Amino acid sequence: MAISLATKAATDSLEINRAPVSVGAQEVHKWLQSFTWDFDKNRTKYSTKYKMANDTKEQFKLIAKEYARMESVKDERQFGSLQDVLTRVDAANRVHPKWNESMKVISNFLEVGEYNAIAATGMLWDSATAPEQKNGYLGQVLDEIRHTNQCGYINYYFAKQGQDAAGHNDARRTRAIGPLWKGMKRVFSDGFISGDAVECSINLQLVGEACFTNPLIVAVTEWASANGDEMTPTVFLSIETDELRHMANGYQTVVSIANDEAASKYLNTDLNNAFWTQQKYFTPVLGMMFEYGSHFKVEPWVKTWNRWVYEDWGGIWIGRLGKYGVESPASLRDAKKDAYWAHHDLFMIAYALWPTGFFRLTLPTAEEAEWYEANYPGWYDMYGKVYEEWRARGCEDPNSGFLPLQWFIENNHPIYIDRVSQVPFCPSYSKGASTLRVLEFNGKKHSFSDQWGERMWLSEPERYECQNIFEQYEGRELSEVIAEGHGVRSDGFTLIAQPHTSKDGRLWTLDDIKKIGCVFADPLKSL
Amino acid sequence: MSTSANSYNAGIMAKTGKDFADEYFAEANQVVHESDTVVLVLKKSDELNTVVEEILLGSHKDQNRTLVVEDRAGFWWLKANGKIEIDCREVSELLGKSYSVYDLLVDVSSTIGRAYTLDETFTITSELMGLDVKLQDIH
Repeated sequence: MAISLATKAATDSLEINRAPVSVGAQEVHKWLQSFTWDFDKNRTKYSTKYKMANDTKEQFKLIAKEYARMESVKDERQFGSLQDVLTRVDAANRVHPKWNESMKVISNFLEVGEYNAIAATGMLWDSATAPEQKNGYLGQVLDEIRHTNQCGYINYYFAKQGQDAAGHNDARRTRAIGPLWKGMKRVFSDGFISGDAVECSINLQLVGEACFTNPLIVAVTEWASANGDEMTPTVFLSIETDELRHMANGYQTVVSIANDEAASKYLNTDLNNAFWTQQKYFTPVLGMMFEYGSHFKVEPWVKTWNRWVYEDWGGIWIGRLGKYGVESPASLRDAKKDAYWAHHDLFMIAYALWPTGFFRLTLPTAEEAEWYEANYPGWYDMYGKVYEEWRARGCEDPNSGFLPLQWFIENNHPIYIDRVSQVPFCPSYSKGASTLRVLEFNGKKHSFSDQWGERMWLSEPERYECQNIFEQYEGRELSEVIAEGHGVRSDGFTLIAQPHTSKDGRLWTLDDIKKIGCVFADPLKSL
Repeated sequence: MSTSANSYNAGIMAKTGKDFADEYFAEANQVVHESDTVVLVLKKSDELNTVVEEILLGSHKDQNRTLVVEDRAGFWWLKANGKIEIDCREVSELLGKSYSVYDLLVDVSSTIGRAYTLDETFTITSELMGLDVKLQDIH
């Protein structure tokens, strides 16, 4: 049969240049680089004061096919473990009840961070000009979608398979009243997606991911395992397998601007602001969740922080960049003080405000108090003796009529909210780095807990207008606010949050709170 | 218990109470100190257990005597001076199945240092890739 001229030409051509039967992923990656674009007139919706170089590399040389194959294997291993062996051995009911509560906070909050990181890395994809750098950011967009699903799934798994589902199943509905939510949104949302694109990369990738995911997603698995939780290591260590590419993306952001004049002007300030923004929330909250939300202790939180944040992130990431002008963050001294004390300060306030949460808290036992004093000399005199008083006044018992918040009021220790970080603090009863500063702007008073946040506010005060719970609910009675803010279980009157994890202890209801007659007041009004 | 400077609880981390606090709050430790070490977190799996036990602590142990490997429940924690390298062609031979550098990345959980792939080799190094040293492509 005669063949067409075109077919003959193609056949002859293949005789001379045989098509390869297989091509390595990195050969494809190299070939794809020829599909570049002219970025001389690059336009982006998301501007930056830095100029990002257009020859920046991507360290892992990923192509879509290998990416999809790699991630599908990760998911297969994760869901296989969860749905087969871990369900069969009833793993979710073997978790210590205190740790079960900590996971309500950790997985719900991480889910919000992952969700916002989708937008953050999409923005960076738009801002960058180098094809390989864009490829790295694009892979991260896909990762963040995966992580959002993973965090949602672990909450679903705990709620479905485990103990005390309230708080695992729908924590977000309490976001208006929970005092930890707004601070979390400052680090996990505003810090990642608002403002200069490169600053967002520094917040998300160079600090949030390269520094704080190691305690938040890696070290947490040690605490989980020690407290009988085998689900969290299965999911979180799988999440972290993507984070190393995100850390590389953050580092390559710095590489891409290293030779830009703007870097010598702004990079150290931006890095310090990002470090303070992230540490201001993560340091006390993670320390509180690890130490006060566990029964079996792995090590003092300050040691975890010292290893992953100070020695390794500080020395290996920031220290190594010293010869390119990157300096040790100016706020490090205050951050170190916070790493030692701020989680103790925060737990005290969190316990005092427990009815506004979506998880249960427990006061330290006598055995735990000894552990705290041995590891944080001075702990008992500051915190331990107060907890003894609260316990003696029946803080766990709904019949006592006592909320620890009353202790702060009786002893004239007002609780403020830091305007920038949204983290609550009590300047007259604190061992962390917090001190009270008050500024007035447009006829409104603003409280700050540190000079670093105050400086950020002074440069763009309109960015930090979020109302705190004292302003939002001033004059309102507590049980009304809890009911309005969905802080009750499916029966409509038992609080999701409780001041104990005892299976035998009675649970507090809206009526128990109402009897106390607690009314929100804005402490700034009385200044 | 390891006495290496790279172990999980080396130096200040071995101290407790006031001794720890004194060193932690010492003036010299209020700024970061440059380190030429690298840290690798490997999720435990059939393949990664083999990489750790048979290659890094086995046949390649003499290549970097500063390497410390610690069992931290769900993961292996590794720290070394300079760099850690894993050639997946060797892993493939040992496992008796095809095992690419992307198969390895399925279980590499965290890196502190500059990590990159080239052909079938995974490297984490203290060098500043892209600044001091150019990142290479496959030839």
